[in-house]
Amino acid sequence: MIKTRLFLLLFLASLITLSAQTPAVSTFELPNGLKVILAPSSGVQAAAVCVYHMRGARQEPADARGIAYLYQYLMFDGNQNLEPFDHVLFINKMGGVVSGRVNYDNAVFYDLLPAQEINVALWLESERLKSLRLNDANIDAQKNQVISRIGRFLESNPAYRAQTWVSAKVFEGSAYEVPLYGDLNRLRVLSNDRVRDYYQHFQNLGNVLLIISGRFDISELRAGINRFFQDIPPGRRAAAPAFSAQNPRRAHVVKNWLLPGLKKHFVVYGIKAPARIGYNFVYFDFLRTYLTDPRLSRLETILNAVNKLDVEIESFFSDYMEANCLLIQVSSPRRFNLEKAKYIIDKEFQALASNPIGNNDMKAVRSLMELDFLKGMTSLEDRCLRIGEFYHMFNDLNFFDDQLKRLRRIVPYDVMESAKKYLAKPNQVILNVYGE
Amino acid sequence: MSMANNPGCLRRGAGCLLGGALLLLAAVNVRGAETRLFSFTTSKGLAVKVLQDNDLPFVHAELLVYLDGNTQNYPSLAITQLALLDMFAPALNSPPSNLMGMLQRQGGDFAVEQNPEFVRIRLNFLPDRLGAFSRLLREIFTYQSFHLGKFNLSKEKFWTLYKRGRDWRKEIAVMLAYQQLTGNFFFTRGFMLREVVNGINMAQLRSFMLRTFRPDNALLVIKGRLNPYLVLGMIEKDLPPPGPRQAQPRREPVQVNPGRKVFILNVDTSDPPMVYWFDVAPPAAADAFLPYAIGNFSLFGFPGGRIYHSQRNRFAMEGYKVDTEAIRLKDFTLFCNSVRLNYGDIEDFLLLVEQERRKFAVRPVERKEYLDALNYYVGHALVATGRPDSDLQPVIDGFHGQVAHQETPRIGPELFQEVSHGQVLQAIDEQMGAKHRNNGRERGIVVLVGDADQILNSLKSLKTEALELSLD
Repeated sequence: MIKTRLFLLLFLASLITLSAQTPAVSTFELPNGLKVILAPSSGVQAAAVCVYHMRGARQEPADARGIAYLYQYLMFDGNQNLEPFDHVLFINKMGGVVSGRVNYDNAVFYDLLPAQEINVALWLESERLKSLRLNDANIDAQKNQVISRIGRFLESNPAYRAQTWVSAKVFEGSAYEVPLYGDLNRLRVLSNDRVRDYYQHFQNLGNVLLIISGRFDISELRAGINRFFQDIPPGRRAAAPAFSAQNPRRAHVVKNWLLPGLKKHFVVYGIKAPARIGYNFVYFDFLRTYLTDPRLSRLETILNAVNKLDVEIESFFSDYMEANCLLIQVSSPRRFNLEKAKYIIDKEFQALASNPIGNNDMKAVRSLMELDFLKGMTSLEDRCLRIGEFYHMFNDLNFFDDQLKRLRRIVPYDVMESAKKYLAKPNQVILNVYGE
Repeated sequence: MSMANNPGCLRRGAGCLLGGALLLLAAVNVRGAETRLFSFTTSKGLAVKVLQDNDLPFVHAELLVYLDGNTQNYPSLAITQLALLDMFAPALNSPPSNLMGMLQRQGGDFAVEQNPEFVRIRLNFLPDRLGAFSRLLREIFTYQSFHLGKFNLSKEKFWTLYKRGRDWRKEIAVMLAYQQLTGNFFFTRGFMLREVVNGINMAQLRSFMLRTFRPDNALLVIKGRLNPYLVLGMIEKDLPPPGPRQAQPRREPVQVNPGRKVFILNVDTSDPPMVYWFDVAPPAAADAFLPYAIGNFSLFGFPGGRIYHSQRNRFAMEGYKVDTEAIRLKDFTLFCNSVRLNYGDIEDFLLLVEQERRKFAVRPVERKEYLDALNYYVGHALVATGRPDSDLQPVIDGFHGQVAHQETPRIGPELFQEVSHGQVLQAIDEQMGAKHRNNGRERGIVVLVGDADQILNSLKSLKTEALELSLD
C-alpha cells in the first residue's frame, strides 16, 4: 500500500517537474477577433512579440505572384506615424532585435526586446496593422529593389538558378511551384493598387495571431494589448486553413545544363518530401538530419571521409506545410569525383531503403533532434514561431510533450519505410550542371 | 486510540510526511529563478565552473584550452589547426575515431573555434548524457589517435577543410590584427603557406597535444539542471592525471603595438567587400572595459553612434549597420567593428571614422550619447538572458581576470549600470583622445576583405600592405 502511495507521489512530483519545464500557454481573444497567445518563460528578462499571419504567398492571385514577398520589406517601410526603418531603430536602440519573413503558408514578424519595454513592441506592431505606408513611391522603390536584387542574384549565381529550377520541378502543379518573388517581368508591371489591395490579408485580424513569449506580468500585458490593438477594425476570419498533404511525385526527371565559365561542376537533387502536417513528416525529418545535417552528415562521411572525394555538400529544406522539397547540392571541380559521388549517393539511398539504420546512429540522430527541439523551445522567438505554426496547422497549443514523445519513439523501421517511399528514384529530380 | 498504538496510522503519517517532503523537493528543484555558480578545481588541475540553472532543459558546456605561446609563429599556428582538424573535422573521420564517435553519441551538437589565445569547444547535450560527458573529457585530454592517412589528407586539403563551415575570412582578419598588435613578428606574404603546412610532422602534433590539452591548462564551464557536486565527482573520477609538464616556451608579456596598419585580404567573391576595424581595449575583467565599450558604441553604434548620425544616407546605413564584437582575450580585448560597403565607399568610410575619432579630443562623449549607449547595452544584456550561454562569458572573464568567486554571477545589466559618464570620458581619452594623440601614431588595424584589385583602385590616399593567401 505504502509502495503504491510512494509511487503515486513520485509520479506527482515528476509531473510538477515536467510542467515546470513548459510553463502553461494561455490564450484569449479581443472583441475585434485578434487571437492572443501568451507563453511565459521563467528565468529570462526579455520578451518576444510576434505577429503571425496565417496567410502567405499561397493566397496570392495567380496573376499577381510576388506581392506577399514585397510585404516582407514594405512592413518596415513606415506607416502613418513612423518613418521608414523607425521600427527597426526603436527596437535596436534598446538593444533588441527585429526580424520578419514572408513565406508561402504564413508571414511572421517579431521583436525581441527587454521585458520591461514590451509595450513599445506592442505599439510598433499595432501601427503596422493599422496604417502601413503604401504610396506609389515606396511600393515602386521596393519593387525595383526586389527586381534588381533577385535579377542580379539569378544572373550571377548559377547554383541559385539551378536550385530554383529543381524546386519548381519538384513542386510542379502545387502552390509552391512559383518562386516567392513571382515572375520578375510581371512584378515590374504589376499595378500598385493590387499591392495595396493585398494589405487586407496582413491587416485582417481574423487571420492574425499575436504571440508573446518571455517574461511579463499577465494583467499589465493584457492592458497593453487592449490599449494598442482594440481599435483596429475587426477582420473577417477566413475558413479554417484547408491543408492537405500532397503525395510524392512519380516522375523521375534528369536534366543536364552546360554553362560556360563554371569553375565547379555540380549536381542538384530535388527530393519531394512529406508535408509538415503529415504524420510521417517526423520520420523524413529524421532521415534528412541523418543524411544532411552538418553536425552528423552521413553524406559527408561516406563521400569525403570514407571515399575521400573532396566534394562540397550543401542542403536546403523548404519546411512548408503541404509538401516539401529537400535539395542536396554536391559540387566539385573534378567531374570524375562528382560522378563517383552520384553513384555513391544512389547506393546509399538504396541501402537506407532496404536496411535499418544502426543503433548508434539512431541514438545520435534522436539526441540531436531532441536537442534542437529543446533549444528551439528555449529561444523566445523560435518558441513563438513554433507555437504559431502548430496552432496554424493543428489548432493545438500543447504540442510540447507530444512532439518529444514522437521523437523518442522513432524506430529504425519507420526510417526505412520513409526512405523506401521518399528516396526512391521516381521521387527525384536531378539537375547536372557542368562547366564547358 | 493513540496514534502510537496504531501502526496503520503511523504508516499513513510517515507516507504523508514523505510525500510532502518529495513534493517540496520537487518544488525546490524547479524553483530555478536564479542561476547559481559553483567553482572548483579538480585534483588534476582542471578549473570547473558549474552554473546551476533549473530552467534549462539541456546541458551547455564550454571547454577552453589555452594556447599560451603556441600561436606566436606560422608553424605553431599550422600545428594547432592541423590538430583541431584531426580531432574534430567530420570530413576526416575515416577510420572513425573514438572521439568523434563519442561526440556523435553525445548528440553531435558541438562547435570548435580558435582565437589567438585559446581553443573553445562548445557542446550541448541532453542531461542523461552527463556520465558520458566526463568520459568525453577524458578522451579529449588524452587524445593521441593521430592517423597517418588522415594527417596527410588534412595537409593536402588544408584550406578546403579550414574554410568549411566557418567564417574563415573573419578568423583570418582577427588573426592578422592580433599578430600585428602583439608585434611578435612582421607579416610577410607567407601566412600559412603550403610549405609551412607541409613541413609539419605528426610528432609535432603529439607534442602539442601533450603540452596543451591538459586538465591543468583548461577551464570547463558547464550549465544546466545539474547537481554541482555530482558533476565534480564524475569529472574527478574520469579525468586522467596530468602528465609531467614539458618545458613551456616562456610566455613573453604581451606588448601591444596598436599603430595603424591597413591590410587587404584578397578573396575571390562576388559579395561587396567587408571592412574590419580592430581596436585594442582593456581586458574584459578590468574596470576600464565597460567604459571603453560604451565609448566605442558612441562612435560606431547602430543607431546611436556618431558615424551613423553623420553619414547615414551616404552609406545606406539602415541596410548596412556596423556590427561590433568584443573578442575577449586574457591581456586585452580586441574590439572588432565590421561593415559591408560598396567598393567606392571604403576610403570615405575609413576617413570618416578617423575624423570622428579625432573629434573625441575636442568634443568628448556627451551625456546623451553616454545614456544612449548605456541604454543599448543594458537592453542588449537583458535580451541576451534568453540565450543559454549568456551568463557564461562573465564567468570566463572573471576567471581570466582572477576575480574572486561569487555564488550568483553578476551579469551584463547590473555591470553596465555601474559605469559612470566620467569613467567613459577617461577611457575614451586614453584610447582615442588627446592623451594618445600626443604620444604619436594613429591607432587601429584595418583589414579590408574583398577583391584586392577593386579595393586598391578605390583607395586614393591610404597606403596598404597587400597580403596574398594561397587558398588552394
